[in-house]
Amino acid sequence: MFQSRSEYDRGVNVFSPEGRIFQVEYAIEAIKLGSTAVGVQTKEGVCLAVERRITSPLMIPTSIEKIVEIDDHIGCAMSGLIADSRILIDHARVEAQNHWFTYNEKMSVESVTQSVSNLALSFGEYDRKSMSRPFGVAILTAGVDENGDSVLLHMDPSGTYLKYGAKAIGAGSEGAQATLEEQYHKSMTLDEGIKLCLNVLKQVMEEKISSTNIEVGICKKEDGQKPGKFHLMGKETIDGLLSAL
Amino acid sequence: MAALAAAYSTMDMGGYLASDTVQTLGTDEEFSFLPNADPASLVEQFQNSNSVDNRIKFHSGTTTLGFKFKHGVIIAVDSRATAGSYIASQTVKKVIEINPYLLGTMAGGAADCSFWERLLAKQCRIYQLRNRERISVAAASKILSNMVYQYKGMGLSMGTMVCGWDKRGPGLYYVDSDGQRTTNYMFSVGSGSTYAYGVMDTGYKYEMSVEEAYDLGRKAIMHAAHRDAMSGGVVNLYHMQKDGWVKVSQTDVSQMYYQSLEEKK
Repeated sequence: MFQSRSEYDRGVNVFSPEGRIFQVEYAIEAIKLGSTAVGVQTKEGVCLAVERRITSPLMIPTSIEKIVEIDDHIGCAMSGLIADSRILIDHARVEAQNHWFTYNEKMSVESVTQSVSNLALSFGEYDRKSMSRPFGVAILTAGVDENGDSVLLHMDPSGTYLKYGAKAIGAGSEGAQATLEEQYHKSMTLDEGIKLCLNVLKQVMEEKISSTNIEVGICKKEDGQKPGKFHLMGKETIDGLLSAL
Repeated sequence: MAALAAAYSTMDMGGYLASDTVQTLGTDEEFSFLPNADPASLVEQFQNSNSVDNRIKFHSGTTTLGFKFKHGVIIAVDSRATAGSYIASQTVKKVIEINPYLLGTMAGGAADCSFWERLLAKQCRIYQLRNRERISVAAASKILSNMVYQYKGMGLSMGTMVCGWDKRGPGLYYVDSDGQRTTNYMFSVGSGSTYAYGVMDTGYKYEMSVEEAYDLGRKAIMHAAHRDAMSGGVVNLYHMQKDGWVKVSQTDVSQMYYQSLEEKK
């Protein structure tokens, strides 16, 4: 796809004659090297699952953190250059708390994603605070807003964010996305959604799936118009679900 | 004092007391002042004025108390707000629920206390997200103390107790706008504090039962409210336990007094 390396692909702030910013597109390619992450949105809540990708038996699996909490009601899964995501995650956390401080309400998932996308877009501005290059990470943000709506958003290095019913990112995303398109339907329950995430991961992972080499995060909808509760699933719960697959 | 403040205001102390803007503890927020404004000297002008007419003294008309004992920490506060000799409210919430395991009390300027403690709540939550564990009471009180220290001399009026339960057990810190931050097993803050200390010191025992502790806290506020004109309303009683705080009771101070008279008969 990119055999013709032109003079337009070095500058981070350079458009090519066809109107493409190559560096951003290359950054999106970087995601395809990252470990697979899957998200499924249902009326009862949203589920995220990522492959930890343990490259050495000496590595301590629990230190790999690819699903993180942004606030009580929002969680994030990432794929790509994980170090880049730490900046975005911290920014999202601070923004969510600033919003609470000023407006005394939980920030909506879309607003959090928008603030992260603002940061992701501000590369190459050459001031102390911005990156000199695009962020090489895609993020799946999952949460349940204060009005009770459950939301799954995907954001890529171009700063574009879109809502999805189900989405897969990373190395196994093509196969995973195809399976999701076949099996996902809007009226799924959260439990069915979790099973779908696990099945899809199992299908695309090279290693045999187990509770140590994946992470699962759920944001469950509470009764009525209340924000949801995000939490990471415990090892025993994941074991139970995997054995039932 | 004004000269000292002016001297500091032109030094670049890495963000501390910078002349036009002041950074609040390493967050990106800055309060912007008017250019060439000098809040410290303005405040000093009015607080130490020679003419009695325009002297402004900041009163902390309130009684708040906290003490540690075997089963945690008790926080008891009154609920009266006064503006001179006018009772503005009898239903003020002087305990600020920072988060489910941290409490702050309010004495001095109500706006100052609630604003800075809300900022503290925000910082504690960010700490918890970044470090994957709850913030300690020592750290939380230090954050608050550092925040207000940057505005020392500029007229903030805040005398608060930060209370919680962390890995080291129950914690109780006194933090004020002069920059003091100390820990002890018992504090009382406000215009009625002396009366509250008298009652607490008489009845305090570390091994008290929970009910005895509740009674002591309520009684101390009641006696302070009885004698101090600037304290009154209701006693709001909180108990800081291992898994967080619980609001124990809300008792009218005058009703308590008449009941105590009945019991004496």
